[in-house]
Amino acid sequence: MALPNEPGYRGLGRPLVPGDLVPSPRYSAAVWMRNARVFSRLWRGALLPTFLDPFFYLLALGFGLGTYFAHGIQGIPYKEFVAPGLIASAAMWSSAFETTYNVYFRMNELRLYDNVLSTPVEVQDLVFGDLAWSATRATIYGCVVLVVVAAFGLISSPWAILIPPLVTLGALCISVIGYAFTTLIPKIDLYSYFFTLGITPMFLFSGIFFPFDRLPGWVEVVAWLTPLYHLVEIARGMATGPDGLQLLVHAAWLAAVTALLFPVPVRALRAKLVP
Amino acid sequence: MNATRPAEPAVLARRLAKAYGGRVAVDEIDFRVPPGICFGFLGPNGAGKTTTMKMTYGLATVGAGELRVLGMDITRDRRRIKARLGVVPQETNLDNDLTVRENLVFQASYFGTDVRIARARADELLEFTLLADRADERIQNLSGGMKRRLLIARALVNDPELIVLDEPTTGLDPQARLAVWRALERLRARGVTLLLTTHYMEEAARLCDRLLIMDHGRIVAEGDPAALVREHVGREVLELKLEPECDAEALIASLDGRVDGYDLTDDALTLYAEDAEGALGALDNERFPTDSALVRHATLEDVFLRLTGRSLRE
Repeated sequence: MALPNEPGYRGLGRPLVPGDLVPSPRYSAAVWMRNARVFSRLWRGALLPTFLDPFFYLLALGFGLGTYFAHGIQGIPYKEFVAPGLIASAAMWSSAFETTYNVYFRMNELRLYDNVLSTPVEVQDLVFGDLAWSATRATIYGCVVLVVVAAFGLISSPWAILIPPLVTLGALCISVIGYAFTTLIPKIDLYSYFFTLGITPMFLFSGIFFPFDRLPGWVEVVAWLTPLYHLVEIARGMATGPDGLQLLVHAAWLAAVTALLFPVPVRALRAKLVP
Repeated sequence: MNATRPAEPAVLARRLAKAYGGRVAVDEIDFRVPPGICFGFLGPNGAGKTTTMKMTYGLATVGAGELRVLGMDITRDRRRIKARLGVVPQETNLDNDLTVRENLVFQASYFGTDVRIARARADELLEFTLLADRADERIQNLSGGMKRRLLIARALVNDPELIVLDEPTTGLDPQARLAVWRALERLRARGVTLLLTTHYMEEAARLCDRLLIMDHGRIVAEGDPAALVREHVGREVLELKLEPECDAEALIASLDGRVDGYDLTDDALTLYAEDAEGALGALDNERFPTDSALVRHATLEDVFLRLTGRSLRE
Protein backbone atom coordinates (compact mmCIF):
# COMPACT_ATOMS: atom_id res chain seq x y z
CA MET A 1 0.00 0.00 0.00
CA ALA A 2 1.20 3.52 -0.82
CA LEU A 3 2.08 5.92 1.95
CA PRO A 4 -0.64 8.51 2.51
CA ASN A 5 1.33 11.38 1.03
CA GLU A 6 2.95 9.54 -1.83
CA PRO A 7 1.67 11.07 -5.01
CA GLY A 8 1.57 7.91 -7.12
CA TYR A 9 2.09 7.83 -10.86
CA ARG A 10 -0.62 9.52 -12.90
CA GLY A 11 1.30 10.08 -16.14
CA LEU A 12 0.55 12.97 -18.41
CA GLY A 13 -3.23 12.69 -18.42
CA ARG A 14 -5.23 13.99 -21.32
CA PRO A 15 -3.93 16.61 -23.74
CA LEU A 16 -4.76 20.20 -22.97
CA VAL A 17 -6.45 22.78 -25.13
CA PRO A 18 -3.92 25.52 -26.00
CA GLY A 19 -5.72 27.99 -23.71
CA ASP A 20 -4.87 25.81 -20.71
CA LEU A 21 -1.17 26.30 -21.43
CA VAL A 22 -1.16 30.09 -21.33
CA PRO A 23 -0.42 31.31 -17.81
CA SER A 24 -2.10 34.43 -16.50
CA PRO A 25 0.53 36.96 -15.37
CA ARG A 26 -1.62 38.12 -12.46
CA TYR A 27 -2.19 34.69 -10.95
CA SER A 28 1.35 33.50 -11.66
CA ALA A 29 2.59 36.61 -9.88
CA ALA A 30 0.56 35.66 -6.80
CA VAL A 31 2.25 32.25 -6.71
CA TRP A 32 5.67 33.88 -7.22
CA MET A 33 4.98 36.36 -4.40
CA ARG A 34 4.15 33.62 -1.92
CA ASN A 35 7.41 31.82 -2.66
CA ALA A 36 9.38 35.06 -2.51
CA ARG A 37 7.84 35.87 0.88
CA VAL A 38 8.88 32.52 2.32
CA PHE A 39 12.39 32.95 0.90
CA SER A 40 12.64 36.45 2.36
CA ARG A 41 12.52 34.83 5.80
CA LEU A 42 15.26 32.35 5.03
CA TRP A 43 17.65 34.13 2.70
CA ARG A 44 20.28 35.01 5.25
CA GLY A 45 20.87 31.40 6.21
CA ALA A 46 20.41 30.20 2.65
CA LEU A 47 22.81 32.58 0.94
CA LEU A 48 25.85 32.18 3.15
CA PRO A 49 26.73 28.72 1.76
CA THR A 50 26.23 30.18 -1.71
CA PHE A 51 28.94 32.72 -0.90
CA LEU A 52 31.30 30.12 0.50
CA ASP A 53 30.74 27.47 -2.15
CA PRO A 54 32.35 29.28 -5.11
CA PHE A 55 34.99 30.60 -2.76
CA PHE A 56 36.12 27.05 -1.95
CA TYR A 57 35.90 25.89 -5.55
CA LEU A 58 38.00 28.82 -6.67
CA LEU A 59 40.51 28.18 -3.97
CA ALA A 60 40.81 24.46 -4.71
CA LEU A 61 40.57 24.52 -8.49
CA GLY A 62 41.50 28.00 -9.60
CA PHE A 63 44.28 28.68 -7.16
CA GLY A 64 45.20 25.07 -6.30
CA LEU A 65 44.85 22.76 -9.27
CA GLY A 66 45.07 25.68 -11.68
CA THR A 67 48.66 26.46 -10.76
CA TYR A 68 49.68 23.23 -12.58
CA PHE A 69 48.22 24.55 -15.83
CA ALA A 70 50.95 27.09 -16.51
CA HIS A 71 49.54 28.13 -19.86
CA GLY A 72 45.95 28.30 -18.74
CA ILE A 73 43.14 27.03 -20.95
CA GLN A 74 42.14 28.52 -24.28
CA GLY A 75 44.55 31.33 -23.64
CA ILE A 76 43.11 32.40 -20.27
CA PRO A 77 44.28 31.53 -16.74
CA TYR A 78 42.54 28.42 -15.39
CA LYS A 79 40.80 30.29 -12.55
CA GLU A 80 39.35 32.70 -15.05
CA PHE A 81 38.20 29.72 -17.14
CA VAL A 82 36.44 28.07 -14.20
CA ALA A 83 34.87 31.17 -12.62
CA PRO A 84 31.95 31.82 -15.04
CA GLY A 85 31.01 28.13 -14.94
CA LEU A 86 30.57 28.42 -11.19
CA ILE A 87 27.92 31.10 -11.76
CA ALA A 88 26.06 28.71 -14.05
CA SER A 89 26.41 25.75 -11.71
CA ALA A 90 25.11 27.73 -8.71
CA ALA A 91 22.02 28.56 -10.76
CA MET A 92 21.64 24.92 -11.75
CA TRP A 93 21.86 23.58 -8.19
CA SER A 94 19.39 26.19 -6.98
CA SER A 95 16.92 25.38 -9.77
CA ALA A 96 17.31 21.65 -9.23
CA PHE A 97 16.61 21.82 -5.50
CA GLU A 98 13.77 24.31 -5.79
CA THR A 99 11.84 22.35 -8.41
CA THR A 100 12.43 18.97 -6.82
CA TYR A 101 12.35 18.84 -3.04
CA ASN A 102 10.75 22.24 -2.47
CA VAL A 103 7.96 21.75 -5.00
CA TYR A 104 7.47 18.15 -3.87
CA PHE A 105 7.10 19.28 -0.28
CA ARG A 106 4.61 22.03 -1.12
CA MET A 107 2.60 19.72 -3.34
CA ASN A 108 2.55 16.42 -1.44
CA GLU A 109 3.36 17.17 2.19
CA LEU A 110 1.82 20.57 2.82
CA ARG A 111 -0.87 19.96 0.14
CA LEU A 112 -0.69 23.66 -0.66
CA TYR A 113 -1.51 23.15 -4.33
CA ASP A 114 -4.92 21.67 -3.55
CA ASN A 115 -5.77 24.97 -1.92
CA VAL A 116 -4.19 27.16 -4.60
CA LEU A 117 -6.04 25.30 -7.34
CA SER A 118 -9.39 25.78 -5.65
CA THR A 119 -8.92 29.54 -6.06
CA PRO A 120 -8.99 31.18 -9.53
CA VAL A 121 -5.33 30.13 -9.96
CA GLU A 122 -5.17 27.40 -12.61
CA VAL A 123 -2.51 24.71 -13.08
CA GLN A 124 -0.59 26.64 -15.77
CA ASP A 125 -0.47 29.76 -13.54
CA LEU A 126 0.80 27.70 -10.63
CA VAL A 127 3.50 25.94 -12.66
CA PHE A 128 4.64 29.15 -14.32
CA GLY A 129 4.66 31.07 -11.01
CA ASP A 130 6.76 28.33 -9.42
CA LEU A 131 9.15 28.20 -12.39
CA ALA A 132 9.51 31.97 -12.42
CA TRP A 133 10.29 31.88 -8.73
CA SER A 134 12.82 29.07 -9.15
CA ALA A 135 14.55 31.08 -11.90
CA THR A 136 14.51 34.17 -9.69
CA ARG A 137 16.09 32.32 -6.81
CA ALA A 138 18.69 30.80 -9.14
CA THR A 139 19.49 34.26 -10.46
CA ILE A 140 20.01 35.56 -6.94
CA TYR A 141 22.41 32.67 -6.26
CA GLY A 142 24.15 33.21 -9.60
CA CYS A 143 24.59 36.90 -8.79
CA VAL A 144 26.17 36.05 -5.46
CA VAL A 145 28.76 33.94 -7.27
CA LEU A 146 29.21 36.64 -9.89
CA VAL A 147 30.03 39.13 -7.15
CA VAL A 148 32.50 36.72 -5.55
CA VAL A 149 34.36 35.93 -8.77
CA ALA A 150 34.35 39.58 -9.77
CA ALA A 151 35.88 40.41 -6.39
CA PHE A 152 38.67 37.94 -7.25
CA GLY A 153 39.23 39.89 -10.45
CA LEU A 154 38.17 37.02 -12.66
CA ILE A 155 35.76 38.97 -14.87
CA SER A 156 37.43 40.66 -17.81
CA SER A 157 34.53 41.90 -19.91
CA PRO A 158 31.93 44.59 -19.15
CA TRP A 159 29.40 42.37 -20.91
CA ALA A 160 29.27 40.41 -17.65
CA ILE A 161 26.61 42.88 -16.57
CA LEU A 162 24.24 40.91 -18.81
CA ILE A 163 24.95 37.61 -17.09
CA PRO A 164 22.01 37.81 -14.59
CA PRO A 165 19.13 37.89 -17.13
CA LEU A 166 20.80 35.12 -19.11
CA VAL A 167 21.18 33.07 -15.96
CA THR A 168 17.42 33.54 -15.46
CA LEU A 169 16.83 32.03 -18.89
CA GLY A 170 19.10 29.07 -18.23
CA ALA A 171 17.61 28.51 -14.80
CA LEU A 172 14.11 28.53 -16.28
CA CYS A 173 15.15 25.72 -18.60
CA ILE A 174 16.69 23.59 -15.84
CA SER A 175 13.68 24.34 -13.61
CA VAL A 176 11.15 23.12 -16.13
CA ILE A 177 13.05 19.81 -16.34
CA GLY A 178 13.11 19.45 -12.55
CA TYR A 179 9.44 20.39 -12.32
CA ALA A 180 8.49 17.84 -14.98
CA PHE A 181 10.38 15.18 -13.03
CA THR A 182 8.62 16.14 -9.79
CA THR A 183 5.15 15.98 -11.33
CA LEU A 184 5.83 12.59 -12.91
CA ILE A 185 7.55 10.61 -10.14
CA PRO A 186 5.40 8.38 -7.94
CA LYS A 187 7.67 8.68 -4.91
CA ILE A 188 10.34 10.89 -3.46
CA ASP A 189 13.12 8.24 -3.53
CA LEU A 190 13.52 8.70 -7.28
CA TYR A 191 15.21 12.07 -6.80
CA SER A 192 18.47 10.26 -6.14
CA TYR A 193 18.38 9.20 -9.82
CA PHE A 194 17.65 12.74 -10.91
CA PHE A 195 20.67 14.06 -9.06
CA THR A 196 23.09 11.17 -9.61
CA LEU A 197 22.29 10.58 -13.27
CA GLY A 198 21.24 14.09 -14.25
CA ILE A 199 22.49 16.98 -12.19
CA THR A 200 25.91 15.71 -11.02
CA PRO A 201 27.08 14.53 -14.48
CA MET A 202 25.90 17.85 -15.89
CA PHE A 203 27.91 19.65 -13.26
CA LEU A 204 31.05 17.64 -14.10
CA PHE A 205 30.77 17.36 -17.88
CA SER A 206 29.22 20.60 -19.12
CA GLY A 207 32.47 22.40 -19.71
CA ILE A 208 32.83 24.10 -16.35
CA PHE A 209 36.14 22.45 -15.45
CA PHE A 210 37.66 21.51 -18.80
CA PRO A 211 37.08 22.35 -22.45
CA PHE A 212 36.06 19.78 -25.05
CA ASP A 213 38.74 20.42 -27.67
CA ARG A 214 40.98 17.47 -26.75
CA LEU A 215 38.11 15.02 -26.24
CA PRO A 216 36.33 12.89 -28.86
CA GLY A 217 33.71 14.87 -30.77
CA TRP A 218 30.73 12.95 -29.42
CA VAL A 219 31.43 14.16 -25.88
CA GLU A 220 30.65 17.71 -26.86
CA VAL A 221 27.60 16.54 -28.82
CA VAL A 222 26.22 14.91 -25.67
CA ALA A 223 27.05 17.99 -23.63
CA TRP A 224 25.34 20.14 -26.26
CA LEU A 225 22.11 18.34 -25.41
CA THR A 226 22.19 19.53 -21.80
CA PRO A 227 21.01 22.96 -20.63
CA LEU A 228 23.97 23.58 -18.35
CA TYR A 229 26.44 23.41 -21.27
CA HIS A 230 24.67 26.34 -22.93
CA LEU A 231 24.47 28.34 -19.74
CA VAL A 232 28.19 27.77 -19.06
CA GLU A 233 29.09 28.85 -22.58
CA ILE A 234 26.93 31.96 -22.22
CA ALA A 235 28.42 32.87 -18.84
CA ARG A 236 32.00 32.33 -20.03
CA GLY A 237 31.34 34.32 -23.16
CA MET A 238 29.90 37.25 -21.25
CA ALA A 239 32.72 37.17 -18.68
CA THR A 240 35.53 37.11 -21.26
CA GLY A 241 33.96 38.89 -24.23
CA PRO A 242 31.00 37.42 -26.12
CA ASP A 243 30.59 36.14 -29.63
CA GLY A 244 27.19 37.49 -30.68
CA LEU A 245 26.11 34.60 -32.88
CA GLN A 246 27.22 31.92 -30.41
CA LEU A 247 25.35 33.72 -27.66
CA LEU A 248 22.21 33.82 -29.76
CA VAL A 249 22.37 30.09 -30.53
CA HIS A 250 22.82 29.14 -26.87
CA ALA A 251 20.05 31.45 -25.69
CA ALA A 252 17.71 30.20 -28.42
CA TRP A 253 18.42 26.59 -27.40
CA LEU A 254 17.49 27.34 -23.78
CA ALA A 255 14.35 29.28 -24.71
CA ALA A 256 13.15 26.65 -27.16
CA VAL A 257 13.64 23.72 -24.78
CA THR A 258 11.89 25.62 -21.99
CA ALA A 259 8.90 26.37 -24.20
CA LEU A 260 8.76 22.83 -25.56
CA LEU A 261 8.84 21.21 -22.12
CA PHE A 262 6.45 23.61 -20.36
CA PRO A 263 3.34 21.54 -21.22
CA VAL A 264 4.81 18.45 -19.53
CA PRO A 265 4.54 19.60 -15.89
CA VAL A 266 1.27 21.41 -16.60
CA ARG A 267 -0.32 18.24 -17.93
CA ALA A 268 1.19 15.96 -15.30
CA LEU A 269 0.21 18.25 -12.43
CA ARG A 270 -3.33 18.49 -13.74
CA ALA A 271 -3.52 14.70 -14.02
CA LYS A 272 -2.34 14.44 -10.42
CA LEU A 273 -4.31 17.18 -8.69
CA VAL A 274 -7.38 17.66 -10.89
CA PRO A 275 -8.07 14.06 -11.92
CA MET B 1 -23.48 39.35 -1.16
CA ASN B 2 -25.94 37.08 -2.88
CA ALA B 3 -25.85 37.99 -6.54
CA THR B 4 -27.55 34.93 -7.98
CA ARG B 5 -31.17 35.28 -8.98
CA PRO B 6 -33.49 33.69 -6.41
CA ALA B 7 -34.73 31.13 -8.92
CA GLU B 8 -31.26 29.98 -9.89
CA PRO B 9 -29.92 27.05 -7.87
CA ALA B 10 -26.50 27.51 -6.27
CA VAL B 11 -25.58 24.03 -7.45
CA LEU B 12 -27.39 21.87 -9.97
CA ALA B 13 -26.29 18.33 -10.86
CA ARG B 14 -27.86 16.26 -13.63
CA ARG B 15 -26.82 12.62 -14.02
CA LEU B 16 -23.47 13.62 -12.53
CA ALA B 17 -20.96 10.76 -12.52
CA LYS B 18 -17.28 10.20 -11.83
CA ALA B 19 -15.03 7.15 -11.94
CA TYR B 20 -11.38 6.91 -10.90
CA GLY B 21 -9.67 4.20 -12.91
CA GLY B 22 -12.32 1.51 -12.95
CA ARG B 23 -13.91 2.44 -9.61
CA VAL B 24 -17.18 4.36 -9.76
CA ALA B 25 -17.16 7.07 -7.10
CA VAL B 26 -20.28 8.98 -8.09
CA ASP B 27 -22.98 7.17 -10.03
CA GLU B 28 -25.32 9.45 -12.00
CA ILE B 29 -26.72 11.60 -9.24
CA ASP B 30 -29.18 14.49 -9.53
CA PHE B 31 -29.51 17.21 -6.94
CA ARG B 32 -30.31 20.86 -6.66
CA VAL B 33 -29.07 23.24 -3.96
CA PRO B 34 -31.29 26.32 -3.61
CA PRO B 35 -29.42 29.54 -2.84
CA GLY B 36 -29.13 30.77 0.73
CA ILE B 37 -29.58 27.46 2.52
CA CYS B 38 -27.30 25.03 4.27
CA PHE B 39 -27.30 21.81 2.27
CA GLY B 40 -25.74 18.72 3.82
CA PHE B 41 -24.28 15.56 2.34
CA LEU B 42 -24.28 12.53 4.62
CA GLY B 43 -22.90 9.10 3.90
CA PRO B 44 -20.38 6.50 5.02
CA ASN B 45 -16.73 6.81 4.01
CA GLY B 46 -16.37 6.12 0.30
CA ALA B 47 -19.96 7.06 -0.47
CA GLY B 48 -18.89 9.69 -3.01
CA LYS B 49 -19.39 12.84 -0.93
CA THR B 50 -15.86 14.20 -1.21
CA THR B 51 -15.71 13.47 -4.94
CA THR B 52 -18.96 15.39 -5.42
CA MET B 53 -17.55 18.32 -3.42
CA LYS B 54 -14.29 18.25 -5.39
CA MET B 55 -16.15 18.36 -8.69
CA THR B 56 -18.09 21.35 -7.35
CA TYR B 57 -14.96 23.35 -6.55
CA GLY B 58 -12.95 22.29 -9.55
CA LEU B 59 -10.47 19.85 -7.98
CA ALA B 60 -11.89 16.89 -9.86
CA THR B 61 -13.16 16.99 -13.42
CA VAL B 62 -16.76 16.07 -14.18
CA GLY B 63 -16.77 12.47 -15.40
CA ALA B 64 -20.18 12.54 -17.07
CA GLY B 65 -23.42 14.46 -16.83
CA GLU B 66 -23.77 18.12 -16.02
CA LEU B 67 -22.73 20.22 -13.03
CA ARG B 68 -23.72 23.86 -12.83
CA VAL B 69 -22.42 26.04 -10.01
CA LEU B 70 -23.75 29.57 -9.44
CA GLY B 71 -25.49 29.35 -12.80
CA MET B 72 -22.35 28.42 -14.77
CA ASP B 73 -20.99 25.17 -16.16
CA ILE B 74 -18.06 24.04 -14.01
CA THR B 75 -16.27 22.46 -16.98
CA ARG B 76 -16.34 25.63 -19.08
CA ASP B 77 -16.27 28.41 -16.47
CA ARG B 78 -14.06 26.90 -13.81
CA ARG B 79 -12.01 30.02 -13.11
CA ARG B 80 -15.06 32.30 -12.91
CA ILE B 81 -16.87 29.91 -10.60
CA LYS B 82 -13.86 29.46 -8.33
CA ALA B 83 -13.61 33.25 -8.00
CA ARG B 84 -16.99 33.21 -6.24
CA LEU B 85 -16.51 30.06 -4.13
CA GLY B 86 -15.04 29.41 -0.72
CA VAL B 87 -13.60 25.99 0.11
CA VAL B 88 -12.91 24.38 3.48
CA PRO B 89 -11.15 21.13 2.62
CA GLN B 90 -11.17 17.94 4.63
CA GLU B 91 -7.46 18.04 5.39
CA THR B 92 -5.82 21.05 6.96
CA ASN B 93 -3.65 22.45 4.18
CA LEU B 94 -2.65 25.78 5.67
CA ASP B 95 0.64 27.32 4.58
CA ASN B 96 3.04 26.43 7.40
CA ASP B 97 5.74 28.74 6.07
CA LEU B 98 3.53 31.79 6.57
CA THR B 99 1.94 33.46 9.58
CA VAL B 100 -1.77 33.32 10.35
CA ARG B 101 -2.40 36.73 8.79
CA GLU B 102 -0.20 35.99 5.79
CA ASN B 103 -2.22 32.86 5.08
CA LEU B 104 -5.20 35.12 4.53
CA VAL B 105 -3.37 37.89 2.69
CA PHE B 106 -1.77 35.50 0.20
CA GLN B 107 -5.05 33.64 -0.22
CA ALA B 108 -6.61 36.97 -1.22
CA SER B 109 -3.78 37.47 -3.70
CA TYR B 110 -4.74 34.17 -5.37
CA PHE B 111 -8.07 35.87 -6.06
CA GLY B 112 -6.28 38.84 -7.58
CA THR B 113 -7.12 41.12 -4.65
CA ASP B 114 -5.03 44.24 -4.13
CA VAL B 115 -2.64 43.81 -1.18
CA ARG B 116 -3.98 46.74 0.83
CA ILE B 117 -7.55 45.53 0.53
CA ALA B 118 -6.37 42.01 1.32
CA ARG B 119 -4.74 43.16 4.59
CA ALA B 120 -7.90 44.94 5.74
CA ARG B 121 -10.02 41.93 4.80
CA ALA B 122 -7.63 39.60 6.66
CA ASP B 123 -7.96 41.62 9.87
CA GLU B 124 -11.73 41.60 9.56
CA LEU B 125 -11.78 37.81 9.12
CA LEU B 126 -9.40 37.26 12.04
CA GLU B 127 -11.89 39.14 14.21
CA PHE B 128 -14.77 37.11 12.82
CA THR B 129 -13.04 33.81 13.60
CA LEU B 130 -11.66 35.01 16.96
CA LEU B 131 -8.04 34.70 15.85
CA ALA B 132 -7.06 38.38 15.98
CA ASP B 133 -4.62 37.86 18.86
CA ARG B 134 -2.89 35.07 16.91
CA ALA B 135 -2.39 37.06 13.72
CA ASP B 136 1.41 36.97 13.72
CA GLU B 137 1.87 33.43 14.94
CA ARG B 138 3.10 30.54 12.86
CA ILE B 139 0.60 27.83 11.94
CA GLN B 140 2.43 25.19 14.00
CA ASN B 141 1.48 27.08 17.18
CA LEU B 142 -2.27 26.84 16.59
CA SER B 143 -4.58 24.23 18.10
CA GLY B 144 -6.71 22.00 15.89
CA GLY B 145 -9.76 24.18 16.49
CA MET B 146 -7.86 27.37 15.62
CA LYS B 147 -6.55 25.82 12.42
CA ARG B 148 -10.08 24.87 11.45
CA ARG B 149 -11.30 28.41 12.13
CA LEU B 150 -8.44 29.78 10.07
CA LEU B 151 -9.45 27.46 7.23
CA ILE B 152 -12.93 28.97 7.43
CA ALA B 153 -11.50 32.49 7.49
CA ARG B 154 -9.38 31.58 4.47
CA ALA B 155 -12.48 30.38 2.62
CA LEU B 156 -14.04 33.82 3.15
CA VAL B 157 -11.32 36.10 1.74
CA ASN B 158 -13.17 36.53 -1.56
CA ASP B 159 -16.56 37.13 0.07
CA PRO B 160 -17.96 33.96 -1.54
CA GLU B 161 -21.58 33.33 -2.45
CA LEU B 162 -21.18 29.60 -1.92
CA ILE B 163 -18.95 27.84 0.60
CA VAL B 164 -18.14 24.15 0.23
CA LEU B 165 -17.09 22.48 3.49
CA ASP B 166 -15.84 18.90 3.57
CA GLU B 167 -16.21 17.58 7.12
CA PRO B 168 -15.61 20.96 8.75
CA THR B 169 -15.60 19.72 12.34
CA THR B 170 -14.02 16.26 12.16
CA GLY B 171 -11.53 15.78 14.97
CA LEU B 172 -12.53 18.87 16.96
CA ASP B 173 -13.40 19.01 20.65
CA PRO B 174 -16.98 20.07 21.55
CA GLN B 175 -16.05 23.72 22.23
CA ALA B 176 -14.16 24.05 18.96
CA ARG B 177 -17.02 22.39 17.11
CA LEU B 178 -19.49 24.82 18.64
CA ALA B 179 -17.34 27.76 17.53
CA VAL B 180 -17.34 26.43 13.96
CA TRP B 181 -21.10 25.90 14.04
CA ARG B 182 -21.66 29.46 15.25
CA ALA B 183 -19.50 30.85 12.47
CA LEU B 184 -21.41 28.81 9.89
CA GLU B 185 -24.77 29.89 11.31
CA ARG B 186 -23.76 33.54 11.07
CA LEU B 187 -22.69 33.04 7.46
CA ARG B 188 -25.96 31.44 6.54
CA ALA B 189 -27.82 34.28 8.24
CA ARG B 190 -25.99 36.62 5.86
CA GLY B 191 -27.37 34.72 2.88
CA VAL B 192 -24.31 32.65 1.98
CA THR B 193 -25.12 29.21 0.61
CA LEU B 194 -23.38 26.41 2.51
CA LEU B 195 -22.71 23.00 1.06
CA LEU B 196 -21.22 20.61 3.61
CA THR B 197 -20.44 17.00 4.24
CA THR B 198 -20.39 15.53 7.70
CA HIS B 199 -20.32 12.29 9.66
CA TYR B 200 -22.01 13.90 12.64
CA MET B 201 -25.77 13.59 12.68
CA GLU B 202 -26.26 16.25 15.35
CA GLU B 203 -24.25 18.61 13.17
CA ALA B 204 -26.44 17.83 10.16
CA ALA B 205 -29.61 18.20 12.23
CA ARG B 206 -28.46 21.49 13.71
CA LEU B 207 -27.02 23.21 10.64
CA CYS B 208 -28.72 21.82 7.58
CA ASP B 209 -31.98 22.97 6.05
CA ARG B 210 -31.85 20.12 3.60
CA LEU B 211 -29.98 16.83 3.59
CA LEU B 212 -28.97 14.25 1.09
CA ILE B 213 -27.78 10.80 2.09
CA MET B 214 -25.33 9.07 -0.27
CA ASP B 215 -24.16 5.48 -0.34
CA HIS B 216 -22.10 3.66 -2.98
CA GLY B 217 -22.06 6.73 -5.19
CA ARG B 218 -25.84 7.10 -5.27
CA ILE B 219 -28.39 9.21 -3.44
CA VAL B 220 -30.47 7.06 -1.11
CA ALA B 221 -32.62 9.77 0.50
CA GLU B 222 -33.16 13.51 0.41
CA GLY B 223 -35.25 15.92 2.43
CA ASP B 224 -35.23 18.24 5.42
CA PRO B 225 -33.88 16.56 8.57
CA ALA B 226 -37.22 16.22 10.41
CA ALA B 227 -39.03 14.89 7.34
CA LEU B 228 -36.27 12.32 6.76
CA VAL B 229 -36.68 11.03 10.30
CA ARG B 230 -40.48 10.86 9.99
CA GLU B 231 -40.37 9.21 6.60
CA HIS B 232 -37.67 6.61 7.23
CA VAL B 233 -37.87 5.84 10.94
CA GLY B 234 -41.04 7.21 12.46
CA ARG B 235 -41.36 9.01 15.76
CA GLU B 236 -39.74 6.78 18.34
CA VAL B 237 -37.23 4.01 18.77
CA LEU B 238 -37.19 1.05 21.13
CA GLU B 239 -33.75 -0.42 21.70
CA LEU B 240 -33.62 -3.90 23.19
CA LYS B 241 -30.69 -5.98 24.27
CA LEU B 242 -31.80 -9.60 23.99
CA GLU B 243 -30.91 -12.54 26.23
CA PRO B 244 -29.18 -15.33 24.29
CA GLU B 245 -32.21 -17.61 24.41
CA CYS B 246 -34.61 -14.92 23.18
CA ASP B 247 -36.11 -15.65 19.74
CA ALA B 248 -35.84 -12.31 17.93
CA GLU B 249 -37.94 -13.35 14.93
CA ALA B 250 -40.84 -14.41 17.16
CA LEU B 251 -40.49 -11.22 19.23
CA ILE B 252 -40.79 -9.07 16.13
CA ALA B 253 -43.78 -11.10 14.93
CA SER B 254 -45.48 -10.64 18.31
CA LEU B 255 -45.30 -6.84 17.93
CA ASP B 256 -46.79 -6.87 14.44
CA GLY B 257 -48.81 -3.71 13.88
CA ARG B 258 -47.01 -1.79 16.65
CA VAL B 259 -43.65 -1.35 14.94
CA ASP B 260 -42.89 0.01 11.46
CA GLY B 261 -39.50 -1.62 11.04
CA TYR B 262 -36.49 -3.05 12.81
CA ASP B 263 -32.78 -3.70 12.65
CA LEU B 264 -31.19 -6.75 14.24
CA THR B 265 -27.44 -6.96 14.85
CA ASP B 266 -26.33 -9.90 17.03
CA ASP B 267 -28.24 -9.41 20.30
CA ALA B 268 -29.18 -5.75 19.69
CA LEU B 269 -32.67 -5.20 18.33
CA THR B 270 -33.74 -1.71 17.24
CA LEU B 271 -37.47 -1.26 16.68
CA TYR B 272 -38.96 1.80 14.97
CA ALA B 273 -42.44 2.78 16.10
CA GLU B 274 -44.91 5.65 16.43
CA ASP B 275 -45.41 4.62 20.06
CA ALA B 276 -42.34 2.82 21.38
CA GLU B 277 -43.56 2.97 25.00
CA GLY B 278 -46.73 1.16 23.95
CA ALA B 279 -44.74 -1.45 22.10
CA LEU B 280 -42.54 -2.03 25.14
CA GLY B 281 -45.67 -2.39 27.31
CA ALA B 282 -47.12 -4.96 24.93
CA LEU B 283 -43.96 -7.05 25.00
CA ASP B 284 -44.30 -10.48 26.67
CA ASN B 285 -41.33 -10.40 29.10
CA GLU B 286 -41.70 -14.06 30.08
CA ARG B 287 -41.45 -15.30 26.52
CA PHE B 288 -38.87 -12.76 25.37
CA PRO B 289 -36.22 -12.08 28.05
CA THR B 290 -34.19 -8.91 27.54
CA ASP B 291 -31.10 -7.45 29.24
CA SER B 292 -32.14 -3.86 28.78
CA ALA B 293 -34.77 -1.75 27.06
CA LEU B 294 -34.60 1.92 26.06
CA VAL B 295 -37.29 4.14 24.58
CA ARG B 296 -36.13 7.32 22.83
CA HIS B 297 -36.98 9.76 20.06
CA ALA B 298 -35.95 8.81 16.58
CA THR B 299 -32.94 10.75 15.25
CA LEU B 300 -31.08 11.25 12.02
CA GLU B 301 -28.60 8.65 13.21
CA ASP B 302 -31.38 6.05 12.94
CA VAL B 303 -32.20 7.22 9.41
CA PHE B 304 -28.54 7.02 8.48
CA LEU B 305 -28.04 3.54 9.88
CA ARG B 306 -31.31 2.25 8.42
CA LEU B 307 -30.42 3.47 4.95
CA THR B 308 -26.72 2.69 4.86
CA GLY B 309 -26.62 -0.38 7.10
CA ARG B 310 -24.89 -1.10 10.36
CA SER B 311 -21.90 -3.02 9.13
CA LEU B 312 -18.43 -1.50 9.06
CA ARG B 313 -17.36 -0.07 5.71
CA GLU B 314 -13.59 -0.14 5.70
